[in-house]
Amino acid sequence: MNWISSLFPKNRRMVHLVTIVILSFILIVGHNVINPYLDQVVLSVFYYPFAKVKNSFVELRAVASKNEILRQKLVYASVTISKYEEASRENKRLRSVLGFKPPFGYSLLPAEIISIGGEHIPVSAVLNKGADDSVFVEQPVINQQGLIGKISMVSKDFATVQLLTDPSNRVAARLAVSREMGIIKYTLAKGMILDNFPNNGHISVGDTILSSGLGGVYPSGLFIGTVKEVNHPEYEPFCKVKVEPAANFHALDELFVLKKEK
Amino acid sequence: MIKLIPYILYLWLVAMYQVFLKDITSIYGVTINLPVLLVLGVAFYKSEVIACWFGFFVGLVVSAVVPQLMGWNMLIFASVAFLAFHVVIRLNIESLYARLLFILGGVLLYNIIILLLYRSDSIIYSFLTKSLTSAIYTTIIAWFFFLFKDRRITLQKFRSIF
Repeated sequence: MNWISSLFPKNRRMVHLVTIVILSFILIVGHNVINPYLDQVVLSVFYYPFAKVKNSFVELRAVASKNEILRQKLVYASVTISKYEEASRENKRLRSVLGFKPPFGYSLLPAEIISIGGEHIPVSAVLNKGADDSVFVEQPVINQQGLIGKISMVSKDFATVQLLTDPSNRVAARLAVSREMGIIKYTLAKGMILDNFPNNGHISVGDTILSSGLGGVYPSGLFIGTVKEVNHPEYEPFCKVKVEPAANFHALDELFVLKKEK
Repeated sequence: MIKLIPYILYLWLVAMYQVFLKDITSIYGVTINLPVLLVLGVAFYKSEVIACWFGFFVGLVVSAVVPQLMGWNMLIFASVAFLAFHVVIRLNIESLYARLLFILGGVLLYNIIILLLYRSDSIIYSFLTKSLTSAIYTTIIAWFFFLFKDRRITLQKFRSIF
């Protein structure tokens, strides 16, 4: 603009003002021809960088909100999956129970465990069946793996099971093959043992131990466990037998109360 | 050329304001009239020619979204700058309140011109809800600006409150 101003040195100010007015009028009159091109220049020089930043922010916010929704869906999906997995496990367990038959003269009352008691090992379990379901004290409790224990306490809707892992619980037992007898008990130091088994008896590792039915509480033939280790100490009347319990007392789920059929 | 850099930055500020600051700072649809505020500021501190050219280019940047009104906007902004400069040199606008009155008058003048140009159904309603409120909002922002500029509010004073 200086070269224009130099042409009119005395009215420099007027030249500027007149130029502004003329340029404005040109753009007013020729707005259809000039303005679109000028507009493109202004948009690309001044607006485009900020519009790009704004779009990035808008996209970022959209992505963030989408991310939040997806996170919620993920949590919901993982909860649903864990429910399905639990249902699948339950299905497997119940399928294995389907082929399970009670001893002769008894019927099965299925029950679920509400809570388990015991500090180092589980020694008792509370079932969701009680006196209203014809559950009585001293009824045997089993699962598909084997003998679990007996009912020790009953209320209207609940019953407590004294597990075989309770050191005060004793079961009269015998070997499945040799029919020789002993007493099953649990000690914290040695685990499950077959006590009072004669030193000269016929026993070997892997032998099956069943309930003998002589105690009056448990019917005969309930699977208790297998012989894990046998020691024959000299000059002692009984041998020391360690037993591997048939049931996993750390993973108890559905149990069955054995009810004597009338 | 170096002298032009601040004005180019002002123009970018106007563009940035138009793109996203306008939405962020609006209160119930009432916005700050930053382009007019900048034009008045330049008219207040700079010469007549600079103010008019700056107003001209601010009009160019502002009307990028409505290119058919580009010429009118440039002329209006340049006219506002011209008038503002002559008000500044003819009146004593040194005190804070005089400056705020100058800003309020300038923004109100621009808003009224725009209101008359883009006439809507109810001018009085638009004047009360848009033009006047926008002028007051802009004046409040200018007030804060002057308080900072005159060092009546400083960051140290502000921090000492908390």
